Amino acid sequence: MRVHWRRMLEVAGPVVTRPFLFVSALAAVGILLSVFREFAGLHAVTALNDGYSWGLFKNFNVTTLTALGSGGYALALLTYVCNQGKYHSLMRTALLTSILTYTAGMIALSVDIGRPWNLFFMADPWVWNPHSILWEVAFCMTAYVMIALDFENLAPLLEHFEAENMPPLVRDVAGYAKRFVKAAYPYGVALALALPTMHQSSLGSLMLLGGTRVHPLWQTHLLPLLYVVMAFVMGIAFVELVLMASCTVWRRPIDRFMLASLSNIVSWVTAAWLMIRFGDLAYRGQLGAAFQLDFYSLVFLAETVMIAVPALMLRARGWREDPAKAFPTLGILTLGGMLYRYTPTTIAFRPGTGYHYFPSVPELLISIGFIALAVMGYLFTVKRFAILPATLEMSVLASTKQIKKGQAA
Amino acid sequence: MNVDRRTLFKIVAAGCAGVAGVRKAHAAAMQSNTEQLGLLYDATRCIGCKACVTACSDANGLTPDTGSSNGLYQAPESLNAHTKNIIKLYRSEDGSEWSYMKQQCMHCEDPACVIACPLSALTKGDFGIVSWNGTTCLGCRCCQIACPYNVPKFEWSSVNPKVVKCELCRQRLALGQEPACTAVCPKRAVIFGKREDLLTDAHKRIAATPGKYYQDRVYGEKDGGGTQSLYLSHVAFSKLGLPDLGDKSVASGVREVSDNIYQHGITPVAVYTALVAVTHRIWSKHLKHSEKEAEELGLEEQL
Amino acid sequence: MAAAVKKGPRPSVIWLHYQECTGCTESLLRTSHPGLAELILDLISLDYHETLMAAAGHQAEAALQNAVKQNAGKFILVVEGSIPLANHGNYMRIGGRTGVDAVTEVAKSAAVTIAIGSCASWGGIPSADPNPTGAVGVQEVLKGTKVIKLPGCPANPYILLGVALQFATMGKLPELDAEGRPLFAYGRTIHEHCPRRAHFDAGRFALQFGDDGHRQGYCLYKLGCKGPATHASCSVNQFCEVPDAWPIGLGAPCFGCTEQKLAFRAPMYQTIDIARPQPPASYPGITAERGSISPLATGLAGLAGGAILGASAKVASMLKKQKPADDEPEVKP
Repeated sequence: MRVHWRRMLEVAGPVVTRPFLFVSALAAVGILLSVFREFAGLHAVTALNDGYSWGLFKNFNVTTLTALGSGGYALALLTYVCNQGKYHSLMRTALLTSILTYTAGMIALSVDIGRPWNLFFMADPWVWNPHSILWEVAFCMTAYVMIALDFENLAPLLEHFEAENMPPLVRDVAGYAKRFVKAAYPYGVALALALPTMHQSSLGSLMLLGGTRVHPLWQTHLLPLLYVVMAFVMGIAFVELVLMASCTVWRRPIDRFMLASLSNIVSWVTAAWLMIRFGDLAYRGQLGAAFQLDFYSLVFLAETVMIAVPALMLRARGWREDPAKAFPTLGILTLGGMLYRYTPTTIAFRPGTGYHYFPSVPELLISIGFIALAVMGYLFTVKRFAILPATLEMSVLASTKQIKKGQAA
Repeated sequence: MNVDRRTLFKIVAAGCAGVAGVRKAHAAAMQSNTEQLGLLYDATRCIGCKACVTACSDANGLTPDTGSSNGLYQAPESLNAHTKNIIKLYRSEDGSEWSYMKQQCMHCEDPACVIACPLSALTKGDFGIVSWNGTTCLGCRCCQIACPYNVPKFEWSSVNPKVVKCELCRQRLALGQEPACTAVCPKRAVIFGKREDLLTDAHKRIAATPGKYYQDRVYGEKDGGGTQSLYLSHVAFSKLGLPDLGDKSVASGVREVSDNIYQHGITPVAVYTALVAVTHRIWSKHLKHSEKEAEELGLEEQL
Repeated sequence: MAAAVKKGPRPSVIWLHYQECTGCTESLLRTSHPGLAELILDLISLDYHETLMAAAGHQAEAALQNAVKQNAGKFILVVEGSIPLANHGNYMRIGGRTGVDAVTEVAKSAAVTIAIGSCASWGGIPSADPNPTGAVGVQEVLKGTKVIKLPGCPANPYILLGVALQFATMGKLPELDAEGRPLFAYGRTIHEHCPRRAHFDAGRFALQFGDDGHRQGYCLYKLGCKGPATHASCSVNQFCEVPDAWPIGLGAPCFGCTEQKLAFRAPMYQTIDIARPQPPASYPGITAERGSISPLATGLAGLAGGAILGASAKVASMLKKQKPADDEPEVKP
C-alpha cells in the first residue's frame, strides 16, 4: 500500500520524555549563561575579540541555522508559487522548523548584541540606516518572525483551540481567527516569501562588508544570490531530514515518493548553484586558488565535495526513493551547505592582524542551549498539535478514537 | 474580506513615497558641507617617541594601557578599548628596513563603518570626522567587520560597551585647538590641517625628494575611496599595515549591490505585490480542494 | 688604584695652555675625589702647569725643559686651549716660540697626549666664525700622534682624572670612539640619558623661558636643546659636585659644547633634527598574535559534533531497518 501523506496529525505520546529532559537541561544551561552574559559582558562568556567580532552567535546561530530554517520559505515557494499542491501536508513541519530556528536565532542575536537596551531604536525610523545590510537583515528577520511566521503557524494552533473539548468562548475566538487567516493567507504567505528572499540574500551581502578580508574564493558580488539559493536547498533538505528522523523515531509511515520528489528538486537546484559558484570563480579568475591545497583551498574543496557529491548521487532514482540512502546523503549536503554559509563569515575571514578565534566553552554552551530550546519547542509542538504529515488512514483512525473518547466522556 | 487589488497598490505606493520622503529628509540632515580636516603622517620623520600616544590618552581621558609592562607604564600593544592612537614598528626580518607607523582612525571619505551601522551610531559629521554616538548603538560590531583598517575597537569586558576610536579630538577642535597628537609631535611628523592643504604639502615633499617616498604617492589620496588621514612612507604601505584597497571604497561596493537590488524599496514592494497576486489564485484553489476533502471524509478542515 | 699608584713613582704630567679661558683648569680645581691637593701631592707629579706653578719667566721655561728631558717618553701631556695657525702661528707666542712649535716639540717626548676641553679637541670658541686666528684643535697640529680628546666647555674634570689615572696605574687607555673621545664618557648623547627624557617622551615641552612648562622642568627640546646630537656625560656627571649643576638641570637648553658642528655654530635656540636611531624591539609590531583557542572548547565542539553525527547514524540505521514493504509510485492519471 502506497504511503501517501495527505493530512497532518499529532504525534502520540507524552511530551516529557528522557530526550526532552536532556534537551531541557541543555537549554537551561544556555539560558542561565545568557543571563550571566547580560551581567558580565561579552568577554566573560565568549572568545570574541576585535579581529573576530562576530562569532558563533551571529555566524552560526543566525547565518547558518536560519538557512536550515528556510524550509518554510522554500516549501511555500514550491506550493504557492510553483503550484505544487502535493507538498501541502509538509508545510506545517517546514513552517514549524522555520519559526523555531528563527526564534532561537533571534534570541541568540539579542544575546550577542553588546547594548541590547537600544533594540527599541529598531522601531524609530529617524535613526534607521537603510543602506546598512545588518539593518536590512534585522528588520526583515524581525518582521518575518513576528508577523509572517507567526501568521503562517497559526493554523494548527487555532485548530487545536477549535476542538470540541474547548470552552465555547475559546472556540468562537479561534473560529473567527481561522476565518481571518483563511482570507488573509495570501498576504501573509507573500510576505513570508518576500521577506526571506531579502534577508537570506542579505546575510550573504553582509560579508561584502568584509571586502578583501574575506578570502577571494568566497568573496563575490554574487554572495546574496548564492546565499539565498543555498538557503532554499538547505531548507528543503533539512525539512526532509527532520521528517525522516521524526517518522522513524515515532514510527510513522514515510511517504518516500513525496520526499523523493523534493530530493529531486534539491538535486537540480544544487546543480544550478554549483554552476553559478564555479562560473563566478572562473569569471573572477579564482579557479587556480581552489586547487592550491593551502588551508583555504582545502576548506573550499571539502565544502564543494560535500555539496556536489550528494547532489550527484541524488540524481539516481533509487537513491532518492530509499530513505535509508537519502538521509545520510541529504545530511552531508546539509553539512556542506552549512559550511558554505559559515565559512565567509569566520573561517575565510582574515582580519589580518594576527587574531585567532575559536568559540569558548560558555559560548558553545549558549549556542547549543538555544538549539536545544528549538528542539524542545519542536518536541512539544508536534505532540500537542497537528504538524507532522500523516496518511488519510491514520487521520481517520485518530478521529474515530477521539469521537469514541468523547462519547465515553 | 477581499481587498481590491487596485486599492492595495494605492496603499502600498503611498507608503513607499512616505518612507522615501522621510529618508531623504533624514539624509539631508546627516550631511555636512564643512571643509574636510585631517592628518598627514610622514613615517620618515617619525622618531617613535610616542608622545602622541600619551597625549591622545590624556586628551581623551582614557585609562592608560599598560599592555605588556606588568602595570608599570603605558605600553599599548595595539589599538583597543583604551587606546585610540598607537605607534607601531615595522622591521624587516634582517633588520635592514624599518619604519614607525602611527595607527588611528583613517576618517575615510566614504566610510565603510558608517554604511554598515544599522542605527546610524557612526556618522561622518562636521569636518568629515567619523564619530560614534552611543545613543542608538546596538553594540552589534558591524563597524568592526566593515572597517578595512581594523580601527573601531569594542569594550568587550564592559556591560555598557562603547565603540572606541580616534575622533580627531573633536572636543579640542571645539576649543580651537589642534588634535593632541599633532600638537605634541616634536618632529612635526604628524600634522593637522585641511585635507587639500595636507595633500599639497605631501606632494611638495614628494617632488622635493624624488625616490624617497614609496611609489612617490600619498596613501589615502585615493585609496579605499580616499581618507582624511594621509600617509607618506619610505617602505611599502602594506608593510605598515595599510592594505592595498584600490580606488573604490568598500561602501560603494556594498551600495552597488544593495541599491541595485532594492532600488530604494521599490523592488520589495513590487515583488510582494506580484507574490500576492500569484498566491491568491493558488490559495483559493487549495481552499476549495481542502474544504471538499474535509466534507467527503468527515474530518476537520486543515488549512 | 690608590695602592697601585702609591707603589711606583708618581707619573709626570705636563700641562700646556694655549688659546683658552682656563675654564678646564678651574674645573679641575673643584674636584673632591680626588681633591686637587691629593691629586698633585699623592697621585701625580704635576711638573708643569702655568696656572698653578709658582715659577715665571725663564724659570718656568727651564722647568718645562727639565720636566720634558727627565720624563721623556713617560709623561702625560695635557693640552688646554686651541692652537692658532693663521699668520704663521704668530697669534700665540710663548717664550719666543709659536704655540705650534712648542706643542710639537713637547709632544714628541710624551707618552700620551690628552686634549682637554673643546678648544684643544677641535678649536672651541676661538675657532668660531670667522676664526680670525685660524684656531684648530691639537690633533690638527700633531697629525701623526693619536690625541685623546675630552671636549666640553669646560670638560668635566672627572673624565680627565679617569683617563689619566687609568693610564698612570694600569698603563692602558680607555676605549675611544671614531673621534678619539673615550667611550665611557662620550659614548651616548645627552638625550639618551637625560633626566628630562620622560617629559620628551610624553610630549611635555617648555615653550618659553619662564612659562609653566619651564617652571615644571619640562623638556627643553623645543627651546633649542642640542642634547639629541651631543655626546657628553653631563647629564649623569654634574659639575662642582652639585646636583643639577649643568645647563639642562638649571633650565637652560644644552648648546652642544662638545660637538664641533653645534657649539658656537648652530644658533642657541634653534631646534635640531633628531637622528633616528635603530629602534629597540620593544615596540608593538604591525601585527601581533592575539586571541587564543581553548582546547576545552575544541573538545566540547568535537563532542557536540560527535553527538549529532552519532544520533544521525542511529536514525539512518533505523531507516534501513524500516524497509518499505509497499509500494509502487502512483501512476499519474
